[in-house]
Amino acid sequence: MNEPPRLGDLVFTPEEVQKRVKEVGRCISGDYVGKKPVLVVILRGAVYFAVDLTRELSIPFDIDFMSLSPFRPGLQRVEIEMDVDIPLAGKDVLIIEDIIDTGLTVNFLVRTLEKRFPRGIRVCSFLSCPARRIAEVHVHYFCFEIPDVYVVGYGLDFQGYFRNLTGVYTLYDPTGRSTQILKAMGKGGKR
Amino acid sequence: MGDFSIITISREVESLGDEIALRLAKKLAFEIIDREGWVALLREWNTELPVEPPLEEKEQEEWMVTVRTFLREKAEKRGFILLGRGGQRILEGLDSAFHILVVAPIEIRIQRIAEKYNQDRATASRILAEQDMQRERFLMRNFGIDWKNPLYYNLVLNTSFYHIEEAYTLIIEAMRRATNKVPSVPVKQRSLFEEKNFLKERVFFSHPSEEDFARILDFYGIRWLYEPRTFPLVWDEEGNVVEAFAPDFYLPDFDLFIELTTQKQKLTWKKNKKVRRLKELYPDVKIKIIYARDYEHIVRKFGGRK
Repeated sequence: MNEPPRLGDLVFTPEEVQKRVKEVGRCISGDYVGKKPVLVVILRGAVYFAVDLTRELSIPFDIDFMSLSPFRPGLQRVEIEMDVDIPLAGKDVLIIEDIIDTGLTVNFLVRTLEKRFPRGIRVCSFLSCPARRIAEVHVHYFCFEIPDVYVVGYGLDFQGYFRNLTGVYTLYDPTGRSTQILKAMGKGGKR
Repeated sequence: MGDFSIITISREVESLGDEIALRLAKKLAFEIIDREGWVALLREWNTELPVEPPLEEKEQEEWMVTVRTFLREKAEKRGFILLGRGGQRILEGLDSAFHILVVAPIEIRIQRIAEKYNQDRATASRILAEQDMQRERFLMRNFGIDWKNPLYYNLVLNTSFYHIEEAYTLIIEAMRRATNKVPSVPVKQRSLFEEKNFLKERVFFSHPSEEDFARILDFYGIRWLYEPRTFPLVWDEEGNVVEAFAPDFYLPDFDLFIELTTQKQKLTWKKNKKVRRLKELYPDVKIKIIYARDYEHIVRKFGGRK
């Protein structure tokens, strides 16, 4: 049996996470004054973020969930495994993601939801990793930008591990590269 | 001359395509529609219609049908020659349209540019590379086609063998003979995705990681072309290309080239150097290198997270 994956360095403490979620929540509330956006939460990673974020919103909102088929050999195209029930035509849609790195998933989501004629679509992600971007996507709200390291926690998992951690950590990187990158930005070390 | 009221001319830079078009237009009393004419024509007809096709697949199909209908009706009043603008794709399979590709060897085209702009050979070579690239990018981005594929054309003319007058005579004769020879199975209007798949059937990836990457792009409906363009990077004193670079993928929706490497990062200095040089020479070209660790991350992400 394979050894379970190991945690690496601490990237954001639970306190840092909560502080930023609160700030982003306030920002969204300000931008959507007088509106009632539909929050489309992308399962499963974004659930933790969505729950905390919605507690910080001072505006009314609807919430719904979407799930996409993960990439796997043999499956030709991404499929919507679970779709939103709320009709989106004429609505202000806010997509809630856990992380946007390559941008491939959210680019697909935006293209898909645009075809349902919403009034507008914005994207909110807990983390954004622009260094890994392939598909162009405008991330309107994010809590943290991260460098090119693999992170887990606060909804982000690796093979089912670490999703329920309240802070954000790197996955253990035996080369030491992740640690070096984090050190350069004054992060990491303690756990 | 026959029943063709539309002639599209796609031409390599300095291949004499414009001169041939002028000669034809004069003889046939056809109107010439070049880039400026195209913009003016579409704006005058419908101010809300974009002058270039939208990138979204369904909108693009609608745009193609609208523009095609408009051009067909226009040709019923007076014949015209459409220079470039993706005419071979927009009017593909139309009975009244005759499609011509005009080419010439690179040596001859460099010589023509050197004389036209009074430049040395090396400078002329760079000017040509830049102009060729612009043309290729326009067609790739807007129509997703390999525009030098001869199957798009009724006639391909190499002007290293013919003067303008001879080219004119050949075209007239070719149109006369082609009239009423409509293929028994009409050419299908291929959508961009079909075009991509059409090309993909012929793709031989040089590394399995490239094939996997293409699958991931397909999975998310991101259009791609494999090694569609080679960028000259270094020329010798006589203007011959001595070093070039062909990025692995081009994503027309993002106007982005992707180079994939599975080498360890410390072994990628050669590739990095080429990309730096490419950015210096072609500052408008967007290119991204996906290193081994990025690629591993992508594979891990799409296979790992749920």
